[in-house]
Amino acid sequence: MIAAARKSGGVPGVDARQLATVLVAAWAVLLSVLGAQALTFPPLTGRVVDEAGILDPATRQELTQKLADFEAKTTDQIVVVTLKSLQGTTIEDYGYQLGRHWGIGQKDKNNGALLIVAPNERKVRIEVGYGLEGDLTDAVSRLIIENAILPRFRVNDYAGGISRGVDDIIQAVSVDPEEWRSRAEKRADHQSSSVDLFMMLLLLIVFIMIVRSVSRQSRYQRDMRRGPWSGGPIIIPPPGNWGSGSSSSGSSWSDSGGFSGGGGSFGGGGASGSW
Amino acid sequence: MTRLMESVRAVRRLGLVLLLGLTVAGCGINTIPTMEEQAKAKWSDVQNQYQRRADLIPNLVETVKGYAQQERETLTQVIEARAKATQVKVDASTITDPAKFKEYQDAQNALTGALGRLLVTVERYPDLKSNQNFLALQSQLEGTENRIAVARRDYIEAVRTYNTELKTWPGLIWASTLYRGYKPMETFTATPDSQRAPTVKF
Repeated sequence: MIAAARKSGGVPGVDARQLATVLVAAWAVLLSVLGAQALTFPPLTGRVVDEAGILDPATRQELTQKLADFEAKTTDQIVVVTLKSLQGTTIEDYGYQLGRHWGIGQKDKNNGALLIVAPNERKVRIEVGYGLEGDLTDAVSRLIIENAILPRFRVNDYAGGISRGVDDIIQAVSVDPEEWRSRAEKRADHQSSSVDLFMMLLLLIVFIMIVRSVSRQSRYQRDMRRGPWSGGPIIIPPPGNWGSGSSSSGSSWSDSGGFSGGGGSFGGGGASGSW
Repeated sequence: MTRLMESVRAVRRLGLVLLLGLTVAGCGINTIPTMEEQAKAKWSDVQNQYQRRADLIPNLVETVKGYAQQERETLTQVIEARAKATQVKVDASTITDPAKFKEYQDAQNALTGALGRLLVTVERYPDLKSNQNFLALQSQLEGTENRIAVARRDYIEAVRTYNTELKTWPGLIWASTLYRGYKPMETFTATPDSQRAPTVKF
């Protein structure tokens, strides 16, 4: 790598960017291999992920709005998802893995919940994150499913069942206004795992920059265009390079549509039902 | 190139090698203790969930007793299995001790079996099945069994990672030098009974 850097003799900025891109690509491949699971999960396109296509646009819009408002007030994340297939596994097994994969709920509070409907297997589940288990208990989830959701599903009223289910979940999780206010103030920043990845990437790039700068030093080339690189054994590369390197990798991590999981986790709480 | 420049270059190269070495070493030295702590944390999650299940049982037994006195034998089995499971002394050392671990696992599996049999007999009592209290208990039990399953899976994964780290490069180096006292951890073996959580179909 040092030899290649010597030979190129080009503008340092270009090398850094290329390097960054290659490294990001390598990380992405590595991650996909390491994170490979037997189950595949639909992308988190919003608060209502209608993979099975059983909801009309008006209902989707209404639910999305309701859930967005709820998160704004309480930081709790509730997501509705309908699945084309459970891929041969139970809805309990699929549910918590989906919740963890999407990272629904804030990382420090794990206050996420999923309403999962698998119409082809005729199964429904309310998957509750660690942080909401106190309010949205297994028994309450079961009641919501039995009383609000299943009767409507049995007459093929998916939109009604899901809407009513969401209302009941919100009610179960709701606390009094004082609590809401204090929660909103304590809202933690979104920490996604990509930040840790970033840090490692950054450190790697710093290290490589140092290596290259040290090797250039010993050549004693007085090219003033390379201003920042000469003079001083170890130097921090100019922020310009960083900005381009990190922003290109930054945009590839963020979700389109503005909604993403807060990094919360799930432990298998909740209840299921079938019709 | 003067000799001075050459030696400066050599020193810089040496510094580079040292930096590289430290980085590589730094990467590995903390991994084993970190993974051990993670596995221990997952283990206490598993214990918590088993304890939660044990706590649900007295209530369950009382409710069933109210409706199904003649199932005394099945109920007694559940009570005894629970007592046995809660008597097994478990602490952090259990996970590196194969005999103790097996004892704990067997006791919990026996309780799972007894619970399963109890819930099967409940099928015969429609009054009991529609009792609100029982429904609530049943959903709690199902939820707890699910949590146990998830906690076990998390634990098994954490133990797998830890045991692998102990046996593969570069963890192998650290394991035989700094961390000689760290032993591989036990993992759950799936039995046919423990695969299915006790469920009741209506």
